[in-house]
Amino acid sequence: MRIRNAVLVALAIGAVMYFGLGLVFPREDLHISVKAEALMCIGGAMDAAHPGECASGFPITNSLVTTIIVDVLLVLTVVFGVRRAQLVPRGFQNFVELVVGTFYDFAVGVDKKNVAKFFPFAATAFLLIILSNLLGLLPGAGSIGMCQPYAHAATAGAEGGHAASVYAGWPLTCGADELLVPYLRAPSADLNMTLALGLISVTLIQYFGLKALGWEYLVRFFNFREGPMFTVIGLIELISEVIRIVSFAFRLFGNIFAGEVVLVVLASLFPYMLPLPFYAFEVFVAAMQAIIFSVLTLVFMSMATQAHGGGHEDAEHGAAAH
Amino acid sequence: MTDEGLRFVAMALAIGLGAIGPGAGIGVVFSGALQAMGRNPEAEGMLRTYMFLGFALAEVPFILSLVFGLLIGFSII
Repeated sequence: MRIRNAVLVALAIGAVMYFGLGLVFPREDLHISVKAEALMCIGGAMDAAHPGECASGFPITNSLVTTIIVDVLLVLTVVFGVRRAQLVPRGFQNFVELVVGTFYDFAVGVDKKNVAKFFPFAATAFLLIILSNLLGLLPGAGSIGMCQPYAHAATAGAEGGHAASVYAGWPLTCGADELLVPYLRAPSADLNMTLALGLISVTLIQYFGLKALGWEYLVRFFNFREGPMFTVIGLIELISEVIRIVSFAFRLFGNIFAGEVVLVVLASLFPYMLPLPFYAFEVFVAAMQAIIFSVLTLVFMSMATQAHGGGHEDAEHGAAAH
Repeated sequence: MTDEGLRFVAMALAIGLGAIGPGAGIGVVFSGALQAMGRNPEAEGMLRTYMFLGFALAEVPFILSLVFGLLIGFSII
C-alpha cells in the first residue's frame, strides 16, 4: 500500500513538473532536418550560415555518432554473449542464441538450400537496422543536443568566432539565434546510411547470382536468343535491379524519417498523451522495417540463384534431395 | 493565397493523394493473405512472411509521398 502511494505521489509530481515546465519553456518553432547534422568538423570549421554543416573538414554527424554506438553495442553483445560459450546456454548467451536462432529459422523458411550463404549478411543487416531504429526512438535522442549559432545574415558578421556553445540547461531551450542540433539521430534516418545498405545488398545479390549460375546469370538481363520479347523483358529486369537500390534506400529512410517527423509534429501540437500511440506504432515500424529489409534481401538473393527458365527442374531436384 | 498557405495545400494534396493507391493495395494484400490463411492454415507461417513483403512493397509510394509532402510543407525543397 505504501509503495502504491509512493508511486502515485511520484506520478503526480512528475505530471505537475511536466505541465509546469511546458509553461515555463514554451516550444519553439519546429526544426526538421532531412540530413544528418554535423556536431563537429575534424580539421575544419563549422559553417556559420548553415547550422549543422561543415564549411571545411570531415564532418562528424550525429547519425555517425549513433552508428558508432550501435556498432559498439553489437560487438559487446556478441563478445559477452559467446565469450564463454556452453553447450547448454545460460543467462545472456541464452538471449543471443534466441535472437539468432529465431531469425535463422525464419531464413530457413525463405530458402532452405542456400541459407548458410545468405544468412550472415541478412542477419547483420537485421540486427544493425533494428538497433539503430530503436536507438533513434530513445527519449532524448532528438531533443538533447548542442546549440549551434543560427546566424541570420545580419548576425553572422557580428559574431565572427561562431564557436558552438554547449548549452548546459534544459533541452529545447536554445537562445533566439541558436539552433538545437541533437547529439543522437537514428542512423536509418540518414539517407547515406540506407543508400549504403541498399548498395551492399544489391551488390551481394548480384555476387551470389553470378557465383551460383556463372555467366549464365547474365542471360536474364541480356537475352537475345529467344526473340525480341525476351530482350525487352531482360532490359526491364536490368532496370529493376537498379531501382531496387533506390527502393531499399528510400523505404528504410522514408519510414524512419517520416515516423520521427510525425512524432515531432504531434508533440508540438499537443505534447500530453497524444504522441503515445504513435510512439508505440513507431516501435512496431522499427522492428518491421528491419525484418522487411533482411527478408527482401533473402528473397532477392534466393531469386537470383535460381536458374532462368529451369527453376522448376531445380526446385524438384532440391526437394528430391531432402 | 500566400506562399506558405500554398505549401500547406501542396503538402496535404501530396500526402492525401499518395495514400489512395497504397491504401487499396495494402487492403488487397491483407485480404488475400487472410483468405489464404483461412483456407490453408498450415501455410500460415510462410504466408505471413510474404504478406509482410507485399505490405512493404505496397507501402513504398505512400512513404515516398509522405516524405516529399513533409519536405514541401516544411519548405525544405
